[in-house]
Amino acid sequence: MAVAELTVAGGAPAAPRRHRARSAASRIGTGLAVLIPILVLSSFITYSLGALSNSNPAATILGQDSATPAAVAHLDQVLGLNKPLLVQYWDWLSQAVRGNLGVSYFTQIPVSQSIAQRLPVDLSIAIGAVILATAIGGTAGTVAAIRRGGWIDRGVTLACSAMSTLPAFVVGIILVVVFAVGAHWLPANGYVGPAGGVGPWLAHIILPSLALALPVAADVARQLRTSLVSVLEQNYITGARVRGLPYRRILVRHALRNAAGPALTVLGNDFPIMLAGAVAAEAVFSLPGLGQLLLEAAQTRDIPVVQGVLLVVSAFVIVINLLVNATLSLLYRSTDGVGA
Amino acid sequence: MRRRTARPSVLRLPSARIAVAILALILFLAIFGSALAPQNPLAIDAGALYKGPSLHHLLGTDYLGRDVLSRLMAGTRLSVLTAVEAVGIGLVIGAPLGVATVFLGRWFDFTANRVADALMTLPSIFFAVAVTAALGNGLVQAMLPVGILLIPGFFRVTRAATLEFGRAQYVEAAELLGGSKLYVIRAHVLRKVLPTIAVTTAMSAAGALLAVSFLTFLGIGVQPPAPTWGGVLSSDLDYLNLAPWAPFIPGALIAITVGALNALADAYRDRAGAGTGALLSPVADPVIKTHSTLQALEAADDRQTAA
Amino acid sequence: MTGKPPHDEVLALEDLHVTVHDGAATAVRGASLSVAAGEIVGLVGESGSGKTLTCRAALGVLPKGCAVGRGTISFERQDVTDLPRRDWERLHGTGMGAVFQDPASYLNPNLTVGSQLAEVLRVKQRLSRRQAHRTSVELLAAVGLHRPDRVFHQIPAELSGGMLQRVMIAIAISCGPRLLIADEATTALDVTIQAEIIELLRDLRDQRGLAVLFVSHDLAVIRELCDRVVVFYAGEVVESGPVGEIIERPRHPYTQALLRVASVGDFQRRELQVIPGQPPRVGADIAGCRFAARCPAAIEACRSRAVSLAPLSPVHQARCVRVTDPELSAAASPGAAELAAR
Repeated sequence: MAVAELTVAGGAPAAPRRHRARSAASRIGTGLAVLIPILVLSSFITYSLGALSNSNPAATILGQDSATPAAVAHLDQVLGLNKPLLVQYWDWLSQAVRGNLGVSYFTQIPVSQSIAQRLPVDLSIAIGAVILATAIGGTAGTVAAIRRGGWIDRGVTLACSAMSTLPAFVVGIILVVVFAVGAHWLPANGYVGPAGGVGPWLAHIILPSLALALPVAADVARQLRTSLVSVLEQNYITGARVRGLPYRRILVRHALRNAAGPALTVLGNDFPIMLAGAVAAEAVFSLPGLGQLLLEAAQTRDIPVVQGVLLVVSAFVIVINLLVNATLSLLYRSTDGVGA
Repeated sequence: MRRRTARPSVLRLPSARIAVAILALILFLAIFGSALAPQNPLAIDAGALYKGPSLHHLLGTDYLGRDVLSRLMAGTRLSVLTAVEAVGIGLVIGAPLGVATVFLGRWFDFTANRVADALMTLPSIFFAVAVTAALGNGLVQAMLPVGILLIPGFFRVTRAATLEFGRAQYVEAAELLGGSKLYVIRAHVLRKVLPTIAVTTAMSAAGALLAVSFLTFLGIGVQPPAPTWGGVLSSDLDYLNLAPWAPFIPGALIAITVGALNALADAYRDRAGAGTGALLSPVADPVIKTHSTLQALEAADDRQTAA
Repeated sequence: MTGKPPHDEVLALEDLHVTVHDGAATAVRGASLSVAAGEIVGLVGESGSGKTLTCRAALGVLPKGCAVGRGTISFERQDVTDLPRRDWERLHGTGMGAVFQDPASYLNPNLTVGSQLAEVLRVKQRLSRRQAHRTSVELLAAVGLHRPDRVFHQIPAELSGGMLQRVMIAIAISCGPRLLIADEATTALDVTIQAEIIELLRDLRDQRGLAVLFVSHDLAVIRELCDRVVVFYAGEVVESGPVGEIIERPRHPYTQALLRVASVGDFQRRELQVIPGQPPRVGADIAGCRFAARCPAAIEACRSRAVSLAPLSPVHQARCVRVTDPELSAAASPGAAELAAR
């Protein structure tokens, strides 16, 4: 028997799995530490926009007739509008973390309630869009990479370029025209929750989800194709082949697993754009979602609602970012294995 | 010093030439559109609602009988000029800041980067909505957030480009020879950073146009009945049953303009070499390169002069 | 070789031609060799000589743009030259295994080495997860790894080159193949580790009757490990025979030059011995002997027509017009003596 190796290169002092898990946890932790200040900063920006406006919410609430200076001053005090900006912001933020987002200036309905009511609509579309974007983009990118240079590859590349010139709302309109108005297969507007039957619910969300998903799918496909082409040229793919592993297994468990990282990052980066698209989709498909709430509130200058919705949206973005980072840590145990 | 402009060689590509031609036409329309429109974009004709294309109305009429072609031509000014103003804000504030941050010390750089990250988290409509909620509904209020949100893009790209070129030996040499930092920047760094700025400008213009179309589509920043591209698109939505073809016209117009801008950006990027305009993602923090060896510097310089 | 192949022949290449750049050039011309069970055959030659392409062809994993032009490849006396992909999948691992030069790059950097070894066992031998784990640890121990249970959970980046090569060997032999192809397996390793890997390969041959095709440019290693050696130059086999014979009585001027060069690095100061000139471009068409341009013993006849392999004995052949010329063999002695002394 040959002489055994006594030293470990590079040194994983503790058991290798624990050591790797710890470094992964610290990476996620650092990501969190970077993102939370960003969340705070963006919420502060949106908050100050509302607070620094020239509008006089107290006057607006009281209405033109009753808006005497005394009444305005009194209401200002009640609403806390005469405190310094930072104090107001801190009050608002600390309340928000507990779930209290204030009350609408006009309808007196708690903001969190209005949001909770409309959240399922956007959640359905957003989750549907993420699933569709992954499925469509993933498949297109993979096929394009495997049959590189073929007509599928060229078609996919062309479609992706075309997609980047079309904003989500245009895509949505095209879909409505083709599938709803033209072919009458799917409803053109409105929303039915899953409580009203899974079938109708799906029928109502599939077009809006598709409108959101397609531009992102294009980005994902493009990135995946590039990464996968590069990964397939690596030696470890040949290594897996000479071990006699079936081609499909190599493709999924080795190639795609390593190539998916950058595409996943693209998905995470495009998520805010997807949210913007959701606002468009709500307009095109007449969906009672957060976007509509936001727009209405903006028109009537109902500041607490605007701030509340924007905070929720920012929180969404943060959560998705965390999920993406966590998944990347799971997939990639080696720092030099990302993407290729 | 010799001023080497990038423009002439970009036009060698046929795609770039087509793109420039399209953009020139759009710009022309933006300035002279309302004057050249065949009919009054605001003229309502109750007898000719949603008619298809005809000799009288080359692109048909909308739900109030107004001539679509005239509305689009007149709307070019609002949509395009708003986008141009937004890009202007981004460029005028973001680019100099990006160059300056390299020379202004680590604290400034760090803070500026964090602010840029924060601004890039949310897409522009959300901020635009917040601004209009705060400051009222108007075109300026809509354009301002779009412009401000373009600043981080310019900032990051020019910062990265400056980092790469600012450490070049000849810059150090120029400083040693007695030139002030400002002179060095003006004479050498700017010349090299210009192609990068050009790419970013084209790409930001595309994004700004999409954002403005989106905003006007949602009814933000526009006072009807003033025509805008996005506004025409949104009014078409309500009458899809009558005229399913209608939204494709303004949609195509937006897509063509955006496509031309993207093509121009690609042409610039190809010409300027790889590495320009690739650093817009907030996740990819540009690494500060410390050029410790002469070879690395010369290689970077050679790459750029060969481009 | 005509006649029926011997009973224990594991690999046979017959007049193999390999084209590259989608058929634009022929990189390997008429290579023939065979490996029997329990035999270790060395393939020696410089970069670009065609030895790696020959290996890849034998393994059925030629890179894109390369193809077998002419000739046959037989595995265990079955013709596998035009085998469809699915059949190659079945052959890989269970029939033949391979290890390569840079083991770290041939393993998935994001998976533990153990899981990659167990994967092969689970897929090809249908072992359960637990069985595969147990067998993997046994295999890792069998190739000489210390604390195999811990190595199982490490990713390639955490292991040294020598350990990784052992892992590769473990994976290659995990399903009991009859043939192991080792393409520059020891080239990137330290000399001490090299010796250990060589001993490991020898043990595997002794214990399992493994046939090994061992590619290297290092004659010292070949001498240490191999029973027979095949010398490649510019895409052709120029000499082949038992290793002792080739080292002590090389008949082809190129082999002689290689041996002379191999004496570089000894403790007595010597002039740096090099073979003047460059090997021909891959796939170049040359009339006559392909080594003639650099050969110190070239004569007119060498350049006029193509030279075929001449048998010097039943086991020794050389591709040289002057093969029986007594002057040639005398020139070989200094190199051989140095090599034997090392």
